[in-house]
Amino acid sequence: MTPPALELRRLTKRLPSGDRLLTILDAVDLVVPRGEFVAILGPSGSGKSTLLGLAAGLDRPSEGEVRIDGRAIHDLSEDALARLRRGRIGFVFQSFQLLPNLTALENVLLPLELAGGREPLGRARAMLADVGLAEREHHYPVQLSGGEQQRVALARAFAPEPALLFADEPTGNLDGATGARVLETLTALRARTGTTLVLVTHDPSVAALADRRVHLRDGRIERIETASAARELPLALDPAPA
Amino acid sequence: MTPGHFWTQLRRESRGGRARLAFFALCLAVGVAAVVAVAGFSASLRTGLRTEAKRLLAADLKVEGRRPIPEPVFERLAAEPDAAVTRVAELITVVVAPASGRSQVVELKAVTGDFPFYGELLLEPARPLAELVAGSGAVAAPELLDRLGLAVGDPLSVGGRTFELRAVVRSEPDRLGTAFALGPRLFVAGEDLAATGLAEQGSRVEWRALVRLPEGSGDARVEALAAALRAALPDPAYYRVETSVQGQPELRRGLDRTERFLGVVALLSLLVGGIGVAQTVRTWMAARLDSIAVWKALGGTPRELALLYLGQTVLLALAGSAIGVAAGLAIERSLPALLAGLLPDLPASAPRWGAAGRGLALGVGVALVFALGPLVAALRVPAARVLRRDVEPLPLGRALAALLGLATFAGVAAFATLQAKSAAHGALFAAGLALTALALALGARLLVALARRAPRLALPLPLRHGLAALGRPGSASIAAIVALGLGTLVVVGMRTIEQGLSDRLRADLPTDAPTTFLIDIQPSQWPGVRAEIERAGATRVDSVPVVMARLAAIDGRPVRELAERQATGGARDERRWALTREQRLTYLERLPEDNEIVAGRLWGDPELAEVSIEEEFARDLGIQLGARLVFDVQGVPVELAVTSIRKVRWESFGINFFLVVEPGVLERAPQMRIAAVRVPAGAERELQDRLAASYPNVTLFAIRDVLEKVAAVLDRIGVGVRFLGGFTAAAGIAILAGAIAAGAALRGREVALVKSLGMTRGGVAALFATEYALAGLLAGAIGAAGGTALAAAVLERGMDIPWRAAPAIPLVAVAGAALLAIAAGLAASLRPLAARPLDSLRAETG
Repeated sequence: MTPPALELRRLTKRLPSGDRLLTILDAVDLVVPRGEFVAILGPSGSGKSTLLGLAAGLDRPSEGEVRIDGRAIHDLSEDALARLRRGRIGFVFQSFQLLPNLTALENVLLPLELAGGREPLGRARAMLADVGLAEREHHYPVQLSGGEQQRVALARAFAPEPALLFADEPTGNLDGATGARVLETLTALRARTGTTLVLVTHDPSVAALADRRVHLRDGRIERIETASAARELPLALDPAPA
Repeated sequence: MTPGHFWTQLRRESRGGRARLAFFALCLAVGVAAVVAVAGFSASLRTGLRTEAKRLLAADLKVEGRRPIPEPVFERLAAEPDAAVTRVAELITVVVAPASGRSQVVELKAVTGDFPFYGELLLEPARPLAELVAGSGAVAAPELLDRLGLAVGDPLSVGGRTFELRAVVRSEPDRLGTAFALGPRLFVAGEDLAATGLAEQGSRVEWRALVRLPEGSGDARVEALAAALRAALPDPAYYRVETSVQGQPELRRGLDRTERFLGVVALLSLLVGGIGVAQTVRTWMAARLDSIAVWKALGGTPRELALLYLGQTVLLALAGSAIGVAAGLAIERSLPALLAGLLPDLPASAPRWGAAGRGLALGVGVALVFALGPLVAALRVPAARVLRRDVEPLPLGRALAALLGLATFAGVAAFATLQAKSAAHGALFAAGLALTALALALGARLLVALARRAPRLALPLPLRHGLAALGRPGSASIAAIVALGLGTLVVVGMRTIEQGLSDRLRADLPTDAPTTFLIDIQPSQWPGVRAEIERAGATRVDSVPVVMARLAAIDGRPVRELAERQATGGARDERRWALTREQRLTYLERLPEDNEIVAGRLWGDPELAEVSIEEEFARDLGIQLGARLVFDVQGVPVELAVTSIRKVRWESFGINFFLVVEPGVLERAPQMRIAAVRVPAGAERELQDRLAASYPNVTLFAIRDVLEKVAAVLDRIGVGVRFLGGFTAAAGIAILAGAIAAGAALRGREVALVKSLGMTRGGVAALFATEYALAGLLAGAIGAAGGTALAAAVLERGMDIPWRAAPAIPLVAVAGAALLAIAAGLAASLRPLAARPLDSLRAETG
């Protein structure tokens, strides 16, 4: 049986705050099958970004497990985690996180070069063309608009054809029209690659595009909504009460 | 990551922050330039001194003794490939002018072979010595011509044989140091001396074999030949083998100190560079934290990132060190011009690839050692920073922090060992530096803790925010205080050492030294001679009696037996020579000012006939306080007890003796007087004429030229020391200012925030000034204390110069550190201060 793309079990994160420990995420369980688009919603401080960081192996949980493609990652070394991310996991961030000293093309090239794929240059150029920025490949991030920067980030994220993509408020820093165009590019790329997408957002219109919507509050899953009645059965193993 | 990819990333990573990278390279360039230039300067000085030593010896090596040089020595020399040998015999004899019947004691030098091998024998007319003296010719010093009323072409009689005076000696290379010569020089040929029979009549002849080795023969060959000759001597107690490698002691001492100072300057410059590198890397990496997190998020492993940034550090360090090597070599090339005319034949420096390689290695090593800590700390930033910008790098952990500390300590100790050529000094230096760094870190922690706990609310706004900024979590205050404190240590240490050395060099300048020596004065003539000296306008007149004697026994054991035992035991020539040479004794009630008793008491025992002995001479003789010495004073045995040991400052050029006897013992022994006087420039000639007329036996030697040369060398070295010291201090200050500024430039967001809350630019500047002033004062105080301790240790232990407290330097340093911190911090904050708050905030988030 094919393991799910992402599996979170009793995922907990506590951080020291003064003399006591603050629970940011509290025993969250979630399973994301391959190819699904899951939106994580919740008010500020509900633990959305923490969940994303733990699920992507960017941070380590205080308790619980994270499995990607059935492989536990929460106790992997930093080097092993980094190797896992190469080509398998993509990211899109609210603040774009392009490397300022690299051109648009070089930013897209970087994960391809790290993954060691063939003809990375051709692939990077093709990706930039896909997001409509072929003419801007030699521009540095500071020379691009916010929307263009986020499209470069999308090209970078999809270039190695990752099985799993994490997006943190990808339209949060953009105006409505630009945000819509970025979202359109994101969904088009996902539809073409079949990438599993876990997206954190405040925006209900963005969340509406997802197959499932996971609502977080105070570090726990409050409820999970599905996009259609046919897929109403929650995939979470132990869903929080609605 | 493939090597090709690695290079590509390295190149891309170097984009942006060019000014910061250039500053990194500059920090190292300054330090490396100092190391290379100092190494070159020292090497040039050593070579210059060696050339001078050869000139003074007139050879690479000489064998001398009171007996004819034995044949096995010449046999050994004949077997030495391409060695040239000249035989010389020197003795004191009397010359008579047949025409007038007047006579004069001379120092006769009979030469067989080429003379001199090094240096210049200036003759008038300028023809080869061998040609002039061949066939009963003679060449004399002008004093002899004056004394006897002779001219070139006149006959003169030596040992009953008539010679023709054919030339005048204007300058003789190996006679510079002979202030105690007994008469004017007279040159004849070796075979003519043999014909006079003077050498066989029991005269005290000094026999010498001068040896020249082919050009380019290294020190090792010279020393090896010297050892072989010592082994070939059948009766080594009576001979001495001297090489040019041993050099000239008077100048060497001052130059040794200067060389050590320059070594310390170079090391400190390099460390200032290292501190600059550490601060630059810290601020550079602080600006790269976001990029590192993105790299990690995209799959870059910590190992790859470490390699990438270490590779970048090495490349930058190579570039900076290469610039430093080029600058150092350029400074070195300009040295012959700086010292022109002072040190004869100072070699035009060829590029020294060894020194250049060492400079490169030191530069890269220092960069790695100082960059390692900040690099490792920055690389511990979690990838989660891509989601939350306030995620800071993970703390190092005790084991890793200790490992990094140990690596830095070992690195600094290794550089110090390389520079000081002593592992003990290197370790001591590193330990001192580590202690100061520890004191700085603890002091900084204490300040930060105090700033955190201080009841701030009642304080004026700038002071309140200044304290808050110092005490805020994650503040870079501790690192900045340690860096500024170490920088202050370097500047204070160097300035104090430089001042100590400059004062000492100035004190060594023989401004009041005698310019003229007078010898062979009969005691009855002294009042009249003194009157003539005073008429000549002398500003200083020293005169002492001299009694010639030979050491016969030490503690009841005959000297001959001791000398032979030392010879078979392989003792140094100086030791055997000290035993067998003719001793010059004087007697004095009080010691001259340049003498200091280091053991025993002067003339403290009324029961004993006492002698005071110079410490190195005592060491050569192997005697200690309480020893009994028997001297043969022209046939009469005199027993003396060693009751004091003295240190003599020979560089004062005063009249000094290894052996000074208590008054009341030698007054009735046959003796003469010698005098050292300082007369105005140009008065020597008139004094000589007057003395020649009334006291023809008195010989006068002017040493003004030698004195002026030594004074000029010391003065020029002093200028060099002050220049290098000032240069390093200025470079250190510039580097530190840059490092502080780099840190302050990262505070743009903070400036924007407080401005957006309504604080004026003046208010923000006052806030920053308070924070930097507090940090600067603390760093300055601890650094100045450490620097003073370092200077005291280097002066007292490394240079044998007494340290004197100079409170002005540390006080100025503390105030300077605070002002520097304020100025650099404010200068770096100018841009965010001038910018609109929204721009800075947008730039930060975007």
